[in-house]
Parts: sequence; C-alpha cells; structure tokens
Amino acid sequence: MAEELTEDHAEGAAIAAPSATLAPPKPSGSGLDLVGLTKEFPGGTVAVEDVNLHVDHGEYVVLLGPSGCGKTTTLRMIGGHEFPTAGQITLDGQSLVELEPHERPTTTVFQHFALFPHRSVLENVEFGLKMHGVGKDERRKQARAALEMVGLETLGDRKPRALSGGQQQRVALARVLVTKPKALLLDEPLGDLDRLLQLRMRVELRNLQRQLGLMFVHVTHNQEEALSMADRIVVMNDARVQQIADPLTIATKPETEVVARFMGDNNVLAGTVTARDGDRLTVETSTGATMSAVAPDSEKAVGDTVLLSVRAAAARLDDGATGGQNTAECEIVFVEFLGDLVKLHLVAGEERMLVKVPGEAYASLRGREGERIRIAWKEEDVQLLRA
Amino acid sequence: MSSSSVPEQSHGQPAEVEKKSGFLDKLVTLGWATPGFAWLALYLIAPLVFIVLVSFWTYEQGVRSGFTTDWTLQNYTDLFNDSTYWNNMLSSFMTSVIAVVACLVFGFPVAYFLAMKVQSLKYQIALFILALAPFWTSFLTRSIAWTYPLMGREGALNQVLTKLGIVDEPVQALGFSTLSVRLAMVQLYILFMITPLFFVLAQVDRSALEAARDLGANGWKTFREVVIPQAMPGVVIGSIFIFVLTMGEYGTVRVIGGNTVSSVGTIVQSKVEIGIQYPQGAASAVLLVAALIVGVFAITRFSNLREEI
Repeated sequence: MAEELTEDHAEGAAIAAPSATLAPPKPSGSGLDLVGLTKEFPGGTVAVEDVNLHVDHGEYVVLLGPSGCGKTTTLRMIGGHEFPTAGQITLDGQSLVELEPHERPTTTVFQHFALFPHRSVLENVEFGLKMHGVGKDERRKQARAALEMVGLETLGDRKPRALSGGQQQRVALARVLVTKPKALLLDEPLGDLDRLLQLRMRVELRNLQRQLGLMFVHVTHNQEEALSMADRIVVMNDARVQQIADPLTIATKPETEVVARFMGDNNVLAGTVTARDGDRLTVETSTGATMSAVAPDSEKAVGDTVLLSVRAAAARLDDGATGGQNTAECEIVFVEFLGDLVKLHLVAGEERMLVKVPGEAYASLRGREGERIRIAWKEEDVQLLRA
Repeated sequence: MSSSSVPEQSHGQPAEVEKKSGFLDKLVTLGWATPGFAWLALYLIAPLVFIVLVSFWTYEQGVRSGFTTDWTLQNYTDLFNDSTYWNNMLSSFMTSVIAVVACLVFGFPVAYFLAMKVQSLKYQIALFILALAPFWTSFLTRSIAWTYPLMGREGALNQVLTKLGIVDEPVQALGFSTLSVRLAMVQLYILFMITPLFFVLAQVDRSALEAARDLGANGWKTFREVVIPQAMPGVVIGSIFIFVLTMGEYGTVRVIGGNTVSSVGTIVQSKVEIGIQYPQGAASAVLLVAALIVGVFAITRFSNLREEI
C-alpha cells in the first residue's frame, strides 16, 4: 500500500512539475488557468500583478504569502468577487471573467464562514440548491447527506450561532460542497479555529478533498498549513508570484530571497562570487565562510554579488573539521530546546545563523552559550537565490 | 483572579463572600430601580389604572367631577354603538397602516443606501445625522410650515402645480385634509423607520452577501433571501414605533388637518375637553390602547424579535 501511495505521489508530481516551470501557460481546456492576471485598485494600488497559474482537477493548490501579498484578491477574482484589470481566468476552457459570481462553477469557503445567521444549519446547506431551483424534498435529502459527510447530521435544526467554530466551519464546507462546484476556493479556512482544531481540520479537509477528487484552491499565510496540505504551493509576495512548486521543493529549494525568508529557518547569506567553474560558483560570504553552489541557470560571474540560502536543518555540527568550503566557525548565542529538535542560534562573522539538530543533541549542547563551534553543510544544500 | 491563585484555601470563605456580595448587589440594584419605578408608578401606572376605573364609572351632569363612582358598562355599550367612533377608529387605523407602509417603502432605500452603499464609516455617520435633521426642528414649526406655506390653497406646492400646468385649479385636498395629514405623518415619522433599519442593516455580514452570490443567488435573490430576513427586526421595531405614534396622534391631526379631520385622538380630546364626559373619554382611550396592543402584537408576528436580536 505504501508503494502504491508513493507511486501515486510521483505521478502527481510528474504531472504537476511541467506546469510549474512553464511560464505563461496556455489555457489547456481542462482545469483552471490564470493568465497574466492583474488587479489594480482605483487609486493605483496593484494588488495582483501578472499571475500565471494552471490548476488541474483534483489538485490541491495553496496560495501562500504574508498578508497584503495579493493571494486573497487572486482568489476573489477566481470567485468573481473582484474583477481583474487585465488577464484571463478560464475553467475547462470557459472564460470566467465576464461571469457574475452566481454564474460561476466555483464556490468559496469564506474566512469567517459567512453563514446566514437567520437560517438553520440545514437551511444554510440547502441554500445553494434552492438558488439553483432544486425542489424542496430533493434539496433536503442532498443537504442532509452533505451534513452527514461533515459529521453534523444531528445539528440540522440549530442556528449557526449555537455551533462551535469547528462546527460552523463544517457547515460552511457542507454548504459549498452540496452545490458540486468544479473548483472549491478556500479563503483562510482554518484561520478562525484554535490551534488543535486547525491541526485536525487540516487532515479532515485534505482527506475530504482526496475523497471527492475536487480542485481546491486554498489561501493561507501559514507556512506549515501550506506544506502539510498542498499538492503544490504558490508563494506570493508584493502582488507577484515568487515560486510555484510542490511542498518539498518549496521547503528545500527556495528560488528567491522572499521565499527563503518567508518559509523560515533558512540561512540567507550575502556574498561575492570569487570563482566560477562551469556551473559551480565559489562565493565569499560575510560569515567569513567560503561556500560553493551548483547553479546551472545562473549568469553570475566573478565579482558579482549573490544571495545564498542554506536550510537550518541541512547544516550539521562538525567539531572535528578544520575548515574549508561550506563550513563556518560560529559562536553559540542561544541553545533553544524544542523537544524533538534543538535550534542553535549562532553568529558567524557578522551574520546570524540558525542550525537545527535532533533533540537528543541537547544533552551535549546545554549551557554552551558563548562557546565557539564549527558547522558544515553539503554543497547540494546551498541554493543560489534570485533577488 | 484571586480565587484561581489560591485554590488551596477553604472553600467556605469565598462562597460566603460571594453570598454577601450577592445580597449587596441585589440591594444596589433595588436602589437603582426604585426612583424609576416610583416615577413610573406615579405618572404612568396610577393614571392608567385610574383611566380604566373611570371608564367603568357613571357620567353625571351637575356633579363637580362629571361622574359618580357607580359601576356601569354603559360607556362601552354606547361606544360600541357609536358609528362615528368606529369610523374614526377605522380611519386612524388606515392612517397608521398607510404611514407604516409609506415609511417602510420610502425609508428602506434610505437606510439601505446608508448602511450598505456608503463605504466609509465617517460619511455613513455624517449622512445618518443629516437624515435626522428634520428631527432637530421643532415639531410645531414643521407642522405649521406644512399647512399654509406648503400645502395650503395658495401654498408653494399648489403654486408649482398650477405654474407647471399639471393642475388647472389649486388642489383643495392638499391643505387641511386627510391626505395632507397622512402625507405629513410620513414625513414626521419616517425617521422612526430609518433609524432601526439602518442599525440592523449595518450589522448584516457583508461576506454572507458574497456567500449568497457565490452559491448561485443573483442580486435580487440575495436581497430577498439574505438581506430582507435580517432586516425584519428593524422593520418590526420601526413599524411598532410608527403604528403606536400615529394611531394615537392628535397634535398633527389638529394642526395639519384643522377642523376637517378627526381621529381617535381628537375624539378622546373633544369628549374630555369639550364634552367633559370623562367616563366616555376614558372608555374611548381604553379601547384605543386595546387596539394598539392588538396591533403591536400583530406586527411582532412578522419576526421573532427575541431570537433575532
């Protein structure tokens, strides 16, 4: 069974990978396409600029970024609640831009659930069917089935305000799923829930999506949430897409400084190229360490300044080493024990650095603040970043 | 906070303190309530009880008070057979219904615009206060301005109508008529509809409107299925205000209607002040209150206020 799963995963990645690298994708006739999507608000604020994205049916895509990065505006444009100033949105080859929200085959789960306070839970779930002219008995039946799917079949007569946050979230889900949308849009769907419930809903939501085989486009500012749920992550910043890739790539191979910093626990280091040997760059950094990176696509030459990133978890303690490339001598500033791992806050040269080591190492690291220590990392863990 | 930090202490003590403070709280509450209650008892409840009593007493000429305390149902039987009274009751009721409906029809768009279409809170409040402007001017000033200068035979409205050739002769019905009374009432009381509507509409969750659009409702259906149900508490409260205020209206009817228009209010007034028939006047007033209670009860059927607010 494990084999089957990994196979599935590999296949999914294989489908997903090309579209990630293809700049402006052509509407392919199947799935959701955003082409050159741009939104400029009156007054000149550009909220979304030239976003290109293809999402397949059955795919779980997360738009990730800090608040104000344009992710919610992008989602609202897909749903029809904002209108793009330029660009195209197509779903299965059909253009959505000219359609009103109620004419689009998409539905949204809003951040604060947006349930109708004057209607019972069952009536809330029925609403979409009622608007689509489904008869009373039929829509009752379907609404009950949808409530059963989210485990709320006994609460149909309650008013939304009598439910807990988690239950309201489920009602919101049932309410949109019952209309059988082609794409489900989720705007910070877990943002209003407490942390434990968030963790549970992540699993439930993802399972539900797999079960239904439906396209989910999910907006969040929570890195962990994105990594744990997405097939692919779209990292946005300042109205633009920074990187589109599967979670493993986003976590281990950030392409830009923004992604490296936003995902957290990446050591971003500035330096100057001192040598170039084919695809291999040697860089002198402000940590005092010399780093090497393999960057086939880079046009950087000797003398250019570059930004490099090394994951905190990719660095290891290397007390025996005597120096050389991809090692650095640091002073321990703080040893932060987090149970299953230890975060070492270090200073190397003028730079702060972070190293994550397994929790067992805490016994030998405790109380060593102020001491000097040598760390090392592999060349393949060094990422050359775009500005 | 202190109780959570000292959980080990004996349980009796905090409970006792709580009990004591509970008693003190009640005493304080009672203290606060007493003046208001005394005021109401003296100026509202006692007179009401007295009016109900008088309505069952006997009218007698020559007695200084105008009645004796002999019990009778005569005042009510007389009223029930008095077609003028019932015609006036009906006409007042019609006036009230028209006022409620007209205030709703004209007030809803104003409240809707203020609450839903004006985006900035600053402008929203400013426009709301502006909408309240008629309220700042004295009732008498407004009412009198309505009579000769605006609605009279030579008034502004008739002049405009004749100048524009819409009518050949000045319209008599504009001044001192049932029509002018009803028009004036809409203008005088529309704020009692706009205000509660504005507040309930301002509380409608915008994202719920988007959700409705998202789930397949067009603009009109969203309005009908999501906005109106949530506006109902405001409609009901506004309607109660206007119904109660206009049904018992007496001042506006006198000033705007002159001597040509009568209402339940003017009948009560004429019985008491002109006829000095206190028992009859009291009985008419009691019936008016009864009609108001029935009306208010009927209006509340439109919305479950207790659950919706």
